[in-house]
Amino acid sequence: MSAIIEVSGVAKTFRQPKRLPGLGGAIRSLFSRDYTEVRAVQDVSFAIAPGEAVGYLGPNGAGKSTMIKMMTGILVPTAGSLSVLGREPHAHRMTNAAEIGVVFGQRSQLWWDLPVRDSFDLHRHIYEVPEARFADNLAFLTTMLGMADYLDRPVRQLSLGQRMRAEIAMALLHDPKILFLDEPTIGLDVVAKDAVRKFLAQINRERGTTIILTTHDLQDIEEICPRLIMVDDGKLLFDGELPRLRAALGSRRRLRLEFGSDPGPITLTTARLVTDDGAAKHFLLDAEDTSILDVLTELGSGYDLKDVTLEEPAIEEVIRTFYQSKPQRAAEAL
Amino acid sequence: MKARAYAAFTVNAFQSRLAYRSAVWSAAFGDLVFIFARIAIWVSVYGAATSTMTDGVTLPQAITYAIIAGPVLYWDFARLLHDVGTAIQTGDVAVYLLKPLHYPAFLLASHIGHFLFELLLVVLPVVVIAGLTYGMVPPASLFHALAFLGYWALSFMMLFALASLAGLAAFWLMTASALEWFLMSIMTLLSGGLVPLWLFPGWLAAIAGHLPFAWVSYYPAAVYLGRLDVSQTLLYFAIGLVWLAVLLGALAWLWTRARHRLIVQGG
Repeated sequence: MSAIIEVSGVAKTFRQPKRLPGLGGAIRSLFSRDYTEVRAVQDVSFAIAPGEAVGYLGPNGAGKSTMIKMMTGILVPTAGSLSVLGREPHAHRMTNAAEIGVVFGQRSQLWWDLPVRDSFDLHRHIYEVPEARFADNLAFLTTMLGMADYLDRPVRQLSLGQRMRAEIAMALLHDPKILFLDEPTIGLDVVAKDAVRKFLAQINRERGTTIILTTHDLQDIEEICPRLIMVDDGKLLFDGELPRLRAALGSRRRLRLEFGSDPGPITLTTARLVTDDGAAKHFLLDAEDTSILDVLTELGSGYDLKDVTLEEPAIEEVIRTFYQSKPQRAAEAL
Repeated sequence: MKARAYAAFTVNAFQSRLAYRSAVWSAAFGDLVFIFARIAIWVSVYGAATSTMTDGVTLPQAITYAIIAGPVLYWDFARLLHDVGTAIQTGDVAVYLLKPLHYPAFLLASHIGHFLFELLLVVLPVVVIAGLTYGMVPPASLFHALAFLGYWALSFMMLFALASLAGLAAFWLMTASALEWFLMSIMTLLSGGLVPLWLFPGWLAAIAGHLPFAWVSYYPAAVYLGRLDVSQTLLYFAIGLVWLAVLLGALAWLWTRARHRLIVQGG
């Protein structure tokens, strides 16, 4: 299927007036015309197919929100080209807006003083959702997100978790083809985060809504997004599936063998010994396709083997090593 | 355009105000104190004045002018300025760009809601109390009464356009409060809301009488009292419409500039 979002060579540079320190500096900067150029996004390219769920991951200030704003049409790229649903988003703001849903974790789109239901109703008018369709969607979303008991409460009385669920529901009321979420789980507790993740994964799976979400929480990506786009300093570091990231990093699995008594030194070709505590030995499996069976076969049956544990590297660790070894690794991974 | 959506904004703005019921009482009380203070000034002025000084306007007419030009026509535009100012400062204005709607039209729709709320729950009770206490004269004629309604709508739109323009300037100044003071003082002097233009020195009245501010308070109240004859009433209504068109044009232009700045510069 052809891409629903195409980003090629996109860059965004902001010009910020230079602020000089102190009161004198503040007065001088009223008249000065000095600017610093901030490159928020540099030469980023990717394509997203309909029905995909993509996690856009990066540390603070990596240019995630800037990218979301460009895709939703409220920022114009400085360079490169960008097409969403076959259109240039900022040039067709109204049509684009009608076909996408956007949720900002840190910015509410609900009407503060009104009951949730009234905000939804307003949304129905803005997006001209047919009455029957709206009723169906509202019923579905209310059940799925467990909003029934606070639908009639004013937004200002809701907890953050309740509000975020309402925000997501509202963004889906007009059946958008693409749902953009900018840090949707920020500040939520474990239960609320879990509810939001499960729901987003389900919407993506069952309704085929394309999801693009920015986050710096890796669990969001593990549970919702098979595909990961990683950025830092505005540059693309990695684009692909999570297992591929592990493979690209050469992240090795760790094997622990526990014996009844110290078998003495063991050397294997399938696994490399890293620590030897006598009865307990740790090995690293360097090759991706080595199975435990291979190791055990090589080991043979002459040992008093009590326990075998294989640890997959934690994704947190994978990503940490990735960022730490950025300059060299990035080139290899891509 | 989505008329239903904008009508819904009006209704919602009205409803959201119901959440702050105690604010109604303080607003009504404040308005009442203010109008009684102004009427007291007119009463004492008329006690010492001769008819040439008052330009042939009787005390009941002056009181009526104070009530109409004050609470009735001069609605609380600071709320509009604040709305626009904070939306720009916090970046929430981007949220409006994400929706398929026109931000200035949204502002107009919701401030009609605020205006109707204040009219029904604050202004009308204040006018009734002040009117019953001091007496109000009726409109000069049926023509003037009908013309007043037209001028009233024009007055609302004029103040809306002026306040929105000042609010959008926050895109460049990053704050709306400086302009709030500026607009507030200009309006106090030039709208004729506090002192009618017929008491201004001739040259100042000539200038003020041709600036858009005068259509906010002075002309509607003057028409109500019959200070303008039929042809003048129609002529000045037409001039007011031209001013309104100019201001709305400026508003559309400024909004385009602001939006451009927002999508290029990120606010």
